[in-house]
Amino acid sequence: MKRDFEVLSALLDGETNEFETRRVLRDLDDKGLDTLARWQLTRDVMHGQAVRPVPSSFNARLSEALAAESAPARRSGLVGGFARVAVAASVAAATVVGWQYWSGPSGSSMSPGAPQNTLAANDQRMSRPFGDLSLVSQSARGGAGAVPVQVNAAQPRVNAMLMRHSEFAARHSGQGMMPYARLVSMDARNGAR
Amino acid sequence: MLRTLAFGLTLMAPLPALLLAPPASAQEAPAATLLQSMSEASRQLNYKGRFLYQFGAEVSTMEVSHAIFDGHQYQRLTHLDGRLVEVLRRGPELVCLHSNGTLTRIDDANGSPLEFQDRLASAIPSQYNVLLDGDGRVAGRPTLRVRVAPLDNHRYGYRLWLDGESKLLLKSEMVDGNGLALERVEFVTLDLNPGLRPEDFNVPETHSERALENVASSRPGNFVIEAQWLPGGFEAVDQDWRRVDTVADPVAAQSYSDGLATFTVFAEATDSASPEEGVSRVGPTVAISRHTQNGPVTFLMTLVGEIPQPTAERVMQSIQVSTAQ
Repeated sequence: MKRDFEVLSALLDGETNEFETRRVLRDLDDKGLDTLARWQLTRDVMHGQAVRPVPSSFNARLSEALAAESAPARRSGLVGGFARVAVAASVAAATVVGWQYWSGPSGSSMSPGAPQNTLAANDQRMSRPFGDLSLVSQSARGGAGAVPVQVNAAQPRVNAMLMRHSEFAARHSGQGMMPYARLVSMDARNGAR
Repeated sequence: MLRTLAFGLTLMAPLPALLLAPPASAQEAPAATLLQSMSEASRQLNYKGRFLYQFGAEVSTMEVSHAIFDGHQYQRLTHLDGRLVEVLRRGPELVCLHSNGTLTRIDDANGSPLEFQDRLASAIPSQYNVLLDGDGRVAGRPTLRVRVAPLDNHRYGYRLWLDGESKLLLKSEMVDGNGLALERVEFVTLDLNPGLRPEDFNVPETHSERALENVASSRPGNFVIEAQWLPGGFEAVDQDWRRVDTVADPVAAQSYSDGLATFTVFAEATDSASPEEGVSRVGPTVAISRHTQNGPVTFLMTLVGEIPQPTAERVMQSIQVSTAQ
């Protein structure tokens, strides 16, 4: 259990790599998810972040979580109240860290062969220049096996988006010549194909 | 758990103290002054140099020229390896020359590629901490190092190297929470007396022109993009409604910024069979595509920006797209 907490803590601190993140999310049980969500809420409150409202689609999960939580949490009014709020918000938070978990095709589990596939997809994504448009599907919705989907036809579309984004980035926040350097670099690589 | 708690406790104590400290404390002043000088130098000086641009696993070499003629900034950014691509600024005019011989006019009337430095110098967003970080050497020149550290993990930080003499920005890195550089600009040569002439900034004539077509943004039927959750400090800054060419349907765009980092959310109507969902990331730029259903319309939303992927996905979860009445 202590080991689990350590993994969760690392996940929350953004210290896990993509592969680990996906593995942790896959192996997460409801209890772990609650813990994670509560920590995230705590961190958000610490950083003065607004907590977004619970999406309606998670109401069922919310009731479940509340029902499960209410029994042990009723130690005192204060603790119970805090726990209740924390759980309510935690479900929203869980959609963030655990969205792949929540929106998985059959709940949570991935097929046994999945890790290798996801790893392969990872490698491919890392080595593929952005301009080559590597919209590699790793969405749980797209199938647990993370089948790489390349959308070459959509390349001009995404290029146009990158250009518009660079434009916004330069105009509104700008990172020096970075947005343009990005644009030039991606355009050059893209045109070379 | 214990680890998190311990972190929490150590973080909690100094944080309020930091927030209450006067902005112009003795510790901050040198860094802020330095950034001010950097901003002025990059706007006012004439220079020409070559730099490495590293983005994910890719390295490009580029050349930048900057000069002032009649009070206007002229700048040319040229990709030196592979295909020829350039971004060219002539005063208020900004164009991108593509490798296939076409040209895109970039709508950038008030902005400047150098605005980052202005922004850093004038108003450092409260989500960042700026501090002097010793000295170094870049392009054979002694430099001063400045660190711009984010106070949470919803944005990336920066490491800056400023030329000791001219205060120009000679090297900059965008770094993630682990201090790993995701993107790097590093000058290898810098000439502060380049002898540039206005002709050096001419647009090549062989290029045919195209532009992203603007569609009236207030007409009914376009899409309204709303984020129910944004990381602290991020605000909606700009939006438009444009199409790439006359055949394609227009795409709505909404960008968000915390003053340094930016991401843009795009929305377009699509058929639900489209398989374009996914995540892609190179260097600091993440692109996430997701479908969302609003009544009879399926939207394809795409987020493109320089923010950490977990934050991008969290934002995506909260995006609502609707059709304007």
